[in-house]
Amino acid sequence: MTALDISVNKYSDVSYEEKERLFEEAKADGRWDHILYGCYECGICVAACPSARFYDFSPRLIAQAVSREDVDLVYTLMNDSVWDCSQCFSCDRCPRQNSPGQIITVLREVAVRNGLQTAKQALEGYGRIIYKIMSTGSQVSPDMLQPDAFPDWGKHVHEISENLDVWRKALPPETLHTIETGWKVDEKTIIELYLIWHMTGVMDLIEGIDEGLFMILVDVMEERLEEAGYDVTFD
Amino acid sequence: MANQNILIIGGGVAGIEAAKGIADLGYKAILVEKRDRLGGNPDEQQYAALTPDLRDTQEALDEMMAPMLNNPNVDIRYNTLVTGASGSAGNFKVKAISAGKEVEMEAGAVIVATGFTHFDPGRETQKYGYYEHDDVLTLTDAEKLLKAHKFVRPSNGEVPKRICFIQCVGSRDRQIGNEYCSKVCCGISSKQAIEVRQQVPGCKVFIFYIDMRMYGYWENEIYWPAQEKYKVNYVKGMATEIVKRGDKLLVKGEDTTMRRPMEVEMDMVILAVGMEPSEGTKLMAEYFGLKQNKYNFIETTGGPLDTVSTNVPGVFAAGACTGPADLEDSVSAAGLAAMKALASVRKSQPVLA
Repeated sequence: MTALDISVNKYSDVSYEEKERLFEEAKADGRWDHILYGCYECGICVAACPSARFYDFSPRLIAQAVSREDVDLVYTLMNDSVWDCSQCFSCDRCPRQNSPGQIITVLREVAVRNGLQTAKQALEGYGRIIYKIMSTGSQVSPDMLQPDAFPDWGKHVHEISENLDVWRKALPPETLHTIETGWKVDEKTIIELYLIWHMTGVMDLIEGIDEGLFMILVDVMEERLEEAGYDVTFD
Repeated sequence: MANQNILIIGGGVAGIEAAKGIADLGYKAILVEKRDRLGGNPDEQQYAALTPDLRDTQEALDEMMAPMLNNPNVDIRYNTLVTGASGSAGNFKVKAISAGKEVEMEAGAVIVATGFTHFDPGRETQKYGYYEHDDVLTLTDAEKLLKAHKFVRPSNGEVPKRICFIQCVGSRDRQIGNEYCSKVCCGISSKQAIEVRQQVPGCKVFIFYIDMRMYGYWENEIYWPAQEKYKVNYVKGMATEIVKRGDKLLVKGEDTTMRRPMEVEMDMVILAVGMEPSEGTKLMAEYFGLKQNKYNFIETTGGPLDTVSTNVPGVFAAGACTGPADLEDSVSAAGLAAMKALASVRKSQPVLA
């Protein structure tokens, strides 16, 4: 765990105008006026926050910084703090009806949209999961159950992984007789998901944060969309 | 039979309210005021707008006084300074200098409403440099600028870009001897912060505080709008010192929430000065033999259940002469004092049909 240092203006190499631009982008979000009012510094959000128990992380600091419109500090937190939140929204019990968790959601989105280096680092480890979800429409799949990768899954993990297809067929619902996906994803469903991610700008977000991942996804998606009769290009 | 006139000393909001109450009940009130105008501190110090409703001070005072000014039951003595008192409940004789002449007034009961004076920050032990730096002001100085709609830096006439308020100046301080909270300054600073943001929208406004004491509706009527609508920055932590840097003021303190010391440049600093008993309050305590607390405010005897009776039967005290009080407190206490003063002269007499 690294300590959060806000005693100095850590990102003094980034211009104030650029930091202000990013903050303005966050404030222009339609949700902003409903998730930030003013902060008392009462600390109820920190008291309720699971992340605050394990990291040098404070939802109060986030609410306080945006409430004071401290542009330098907001930028520092947007880089060094927002990724420590587990987005559980326990902080929603704020007596002023602030939602530090949702403020963080918005700040994260600004960080991703603008390709901040710290956002890329924070999301690096999730590339494999994002690929799985976005290419197949399902999350953890049985073939990810590798004995070496998951020793904590118990002493039978070897036995189970060797005969995975048999074990899966033992499950009553037919939709779970899969190995490469968590469940059987309908063709129509996956095509709709691709179109949604394309049209809502999710693919643009991915491109800004991980170009390699973006290119692999585009290959998969363009081919299947073409087969389904859609003429879609992602650039 | 007791003299049924009630003498009220001090023509601020408490004195006005008490006189109105006595007159409305059909008795005679003699209202003594040392200045040639009524209205007390809000009038004398030219408050721009009242706390908490931001109503124009002059307009609100005029409306309050109107029903009393031509009421034959109210005898207003302007330019009159009380100089001594004798007698007891039912028969007080009060001496005064009125327009240069010595006079004596008689009354069955007395209501002291001589109020407070603003703390003089030149007397403080902290280094805020009120008499050194032109751009260090008090709340009362700021009221005058706001009233004139000319909120500019006294040093150079420029419109300020960053200002701050420092709370609890002269209050809650054992070193100064005023351990009490002056009760109104948090609200007044926040009210002024709103007015500054209205008059000078480009100016950043900070409030450095120990606790914000915004009880009751002041919370949602002043504090929340100041923070949420007018984007006033509340920073928990006090300034220890103000020094000059170029043509700016450098304020040193701690931003306790953010866990860091702060040194910030300001164009103007407004000291939220508290209340102390006025000279008149101290003199009345002496003339009437009223018990004072260790801060020299007049001590009322009934604890929280009687806020106006004093140790001298027939003498009552209302408003900020008994301790820090806002307008709501002062007016409420004045009504109570009027009722108790009249009761003290009417007691045991049959009510006439």
